[in-house]
Amino acid sequence: MSITLRVLLIIASFFSFLLCLKRIKQEKLKITNSVVWMLGSLSLVLMAVFSNVVEWIAVKLGFIAPVNFVFLVMIAFLLMQTFIDNIRISALNEKIKDLNHYIALKELEDEDK
Amino acid sequence: MKVLLIIPAYNEAENIEKTVKDVVTNTNYDYIVINDCSKDNTKEVCERNNFHMLSLPINYGLTSAIQVGMKYAYQNNYDIAIQFDGDGQHQAKYLKDLVKEIESGNCEIAIGSRFVNKKKPFSLRMFGSMIISICIKLVTGKKVKDTSSGMRAYNKYAIEQFAKNHSLTPEPDTLVYMMKKGMTVKEVQVEMSEREFGESYLTLFKSAEYMLNVVFSILFIRSTTKKKGGK
Repeated sequence: MSITLRVLLIIASFFSFLLCLKRIKQEKLKITNSVVWMLGSLSLVLMAVFSNVVEWIAVKLGFIAPVNFVFLVMIAFLLMQTFIDNIRISALNEKIKDLNHYIALKELEDEDK
Repeated sequence: MKVLLIIPAYNEAENIEKTVKDVVTNTNYDYIVINDCSKDNTKEVCERNNFHMLSLPINYGLTSAIQVGMKYAYQNNYDIAIQFDGDGQHQAKYLKDLVKEIESGNCEIAIGSRFVNKKKPFSLRMFGSMIISICIKLVTGKKVKDTSSGMRAYNKYAIEQFAKNHSLTPEPDTLVYMMKKGMTVKEVQVEMSEREFGESYLTLFKSAEYMLNVVFSILFIRSTTKKKGGK
């Protein structure tokens, strides 16, 4: 991995970590939801610092360039995140629908009385 | 047997009055209009005519409207629930034929079908219906000719399934689910008229999405339904 990429990774993780902390302080992000992002940025730092380990794994797995491996890890991480978000949205959707039904049924019940 | 007609209505101010009056004059079944948070004055029209109406505070689509109707049917102990379009396409005089089929124990689900003893006309819509028919035949071995008919009568067990399983939609894939659960589906010949006013739930653009959803659901999800327990 080139020095530029390593420095870039560290700077980016540093700022994303800070952003997470800031949003938590502003109560715009729940701590449970932010942990995964903070872990993500920490792992970027780790990959930048211990780049020789990353390079070793990348070579063993047959990647042409170690940077490809870094990208793959990031993509996998993001895909997982969107998938989990999708599940959460579906669950929320069901909950809102149930509330919607509950309110309507309750109103009708009160009317019929 | 206690029969409930579930009439979903979204922006049907021009059609709903005629539909409900047709139901009231031609049958003696209970009915409930599900106003899916219409933007026009569907609600006012129903209130003015003193129709039995359940009004949803948020628009959530046809599936949700039918589901809440099924919940109502389940809570109020109805034996048969019939899905009946609020847009004036369905005619109430055929309802007793559907009820008769379920009452006599011939089937658990009766579909008001346009093609029992009439041939399907050829159009893009019917082509879609044919593909779904083939999928159903593949998965269940049974023939359903009019898959897109929105006039379906369900017995008590099916109502319970609807009220408890949130993934069930008023679409053909649910028929596959019900058949896999061991229920019999029977088609009864009916006539349907063209809608007079307003727009259908299914716009042309949404049709492709609809087809994909239904076909995937039938082939990969509903096909694995177990007869007892589980989803």
